[in-house]
Amino acid sequence: MAATETRRVAYYKGCLASLSAKELDTSTQALAPLLGIELDELESVTCCGAGDIHEAEPDYYLHLNARILAYAEQTGADTLMTICNVCTLNLRQANWQLKNDDNLRARVSQNLETVGAPPYEGTVEVKHLLWLIAEGDGYEQLKQVAHKGLKGLKVAPFYGCQILRPSKILGFEDPDRPWSLEAIIEACGGEPIDYPAKIKCCGFPIIQAREETALGELIQPIEQASEAGADAIVTPCPLCHLSLDAWQSKLKKATGKDFQMPILHLSQLIGVAAGLEESELKFKRHVVSVEPLVEKLEA
Amino acid sequence: MRRASARFALVDVALKIWRYDPESGERELREYEVDAPEWACLLDVLDLIKDKHDGSLAYRKSCRMMICGSCGMRMDGRAVLACKERMKPIADAGHVPVISAMGNLPVLKDLVVDMAPFWNKIRAVKPWLDPGYDEVAEKERIVSQQQVNVINKESLCIMCGCCVSECNSMESDPEFLGPAALAKGFRFVGDVRDHGEVARLNELNQDHGIWDCTRCYFCNERCPKGVDPRDAIAKLGAESIKLNIDHDMGAKHAKWFVKSAETTGWLRETELVPKTQGIVSSLKEIGFALNLAKRGKVPPPFPPHVAKDVKEARALHDLVRTQGREGAAGIVQGEHALAQIEHVLEADERGGEHGGD
Repeated sequence: MAATETRRVAYYKGCLASLSAKELDTSTQALAPLLGIELDELESVTCCGAGDIHEAEPDYYLHLNARILAYAEQTGADTLMTICNVCTLNLRQANWQLKNDDNLRARVSQNLETVGAPPYEGTVEVKHLLWLIAEGDGYEQLKQVAHKGLKGLKVAPFYGCQILRPSKILGFEDPDRPWSLEAIIEACGGEPIDYPAKIKCCGFPIIQAREETALGELIQPIEQASEAGADAIVTPCPLCHLSLDAWQSKLKKATGKDFQMPILHLSQLIGVAAGLEESELKFKRHVVSVEPLVEKLEA
Repeated sequence: MRRASARFALVDVALKIWRYDPESGERELREYEVDAPEWACLLDVLDLIKDKHDGSLAYRKSCRMMICGSCGMRMDGRAVLACKERMKPIADAGHVPVISAMGNLPVLKDLVVDMAPFWNKIRAVKPWLDPGYDEVAEKERIVSQQQVNVINKESLCIMCGCCVSECNSMESDPEFLGPAALAKGFRFVGDVRDHGEVARLNELNQDHGIWDCTRCYFCNERCPKGVDPRDAIAKLGAESIKLNIDHDMGAKHAKWFVKSAETTGWLRETELVPKTQGIVSSLKEIGFALNLAKRGKVPPPFPPHVAKDVKEARALHDLVRTQGREGAAGIVQGEHALAQIEHVLEADERGGEHGGD
């Protein structure tokens, strides 16, 4: 059921998919060829700074992201594909600045060359996997790929912040009425659940420095999705995934509420519908068990 | 009734408004329909409703031209200035928007919120210049355009409260200073004439300050004047770290990303908790961490996961630190390009060449 035409993209997996969220990388790597996406994985790249380097040493942030963009450009691909909201915003913000300010790009490129990295000419577009699937051919291919379907499973889409806002930098869809995840859930044979917190923050950026405030944010999507009868939440961001999945136990401790809400990466949701194996999906790496969901699908 | 049609076309505009009566405590969603001039904005429509249908409708207004900041309210859940939103496209689409009071502030009546908590936070950042002397100088102090550019965006704030309305951190922690007050804070921290920078930053680095921002970016999305408060908060963080005001866990968290990037290239994830919270606090998290470790969510720090050619990232760090773009300057340098976004996108839509330099 592999796609007939392939599109080669530079693949930047970011920190979490290399470390604590390896399941995101393995499921993406397994899914991409089915969707007609050939991944040219970048090796000589670093963290995008996750918004933290932007806030600590913003000039260094710009250079680190320019270096990632330059290595992506060197592959000859016109698109740098991300699988994390935060990487998407950081790279797109830097890319916009570098593309639209020749003086700035000249200075940064010169610095890159000084340390032995390629200069950046400004020819790459940064796109999240979600967008590559939701736009144009990707969506049609998805309908064929998701042959196993989701048997009407109720899935709550959780976008997270930095794939929607600021929309002038991201700009794929209406940040207040996004549709891409819902369309994908439907194409896979699931039933998308609507709830207000699907576009709000999961609390992750401050979960270590301000846990109480973060938990006050985190509970909203989980509680609302749970009340709406969702079998699972799906998110395009590994940071949202980590807080929604791993920090649920802290919600239980703080509020007494035990949601046991399974959280899926986007590539896992499509992967299940496309019949990927556990060795690729790696549900065993989740803190909240995905077993009830798998049982429903196998019933 | 349609007398005005001799001078301009009318459109049929329907609205639903969340009414709130403080005396009875009752809330009710009421629908209204008026003939409005095709150029009418939301505020014009509210005026027509109040004039022709229901004089008891309460809302704030003053200048009608996006500069006084009085008419902030929500349309379909989004904080907007009522005087900025044209109604014709909405009416033409057959949509009936829901109008309600702004969020994160107590509702007094209908669309009027109590701005006292907002003003208290603005006052808390001491929104006046501290020139560092009592006597007026004899000579005029010349400030260059470049120096003004640093605080140009923050100076555009009209204090309407739209950025505060959907602030996710403030929903969870009502004491959070929030995007408007913090942007105002940077307006003075970044002012070359102000001599209170360190004292200001020390105060803004306390609880409910800079490091409480959850980076949801609702403030940037909602601001009707292009202030981009989240970017102002990042500038405050960058200035704090430049001046070694880094005692807050949020600052330590941010600095660990820099350390990670220049040593291994990738985030040293497992060390992030002790580096942010300190060893003692992180020991309390050991049960939580062990649970995560069982699922492979705590990658072992040794051997470290090192990026290929990481020496370039190290050298880059050493190099950029010698080039005088530390702190907020590193963000300000990108604003020239970011300011062109709407301009370039509109030109692209027209299919023409954009005017970016």
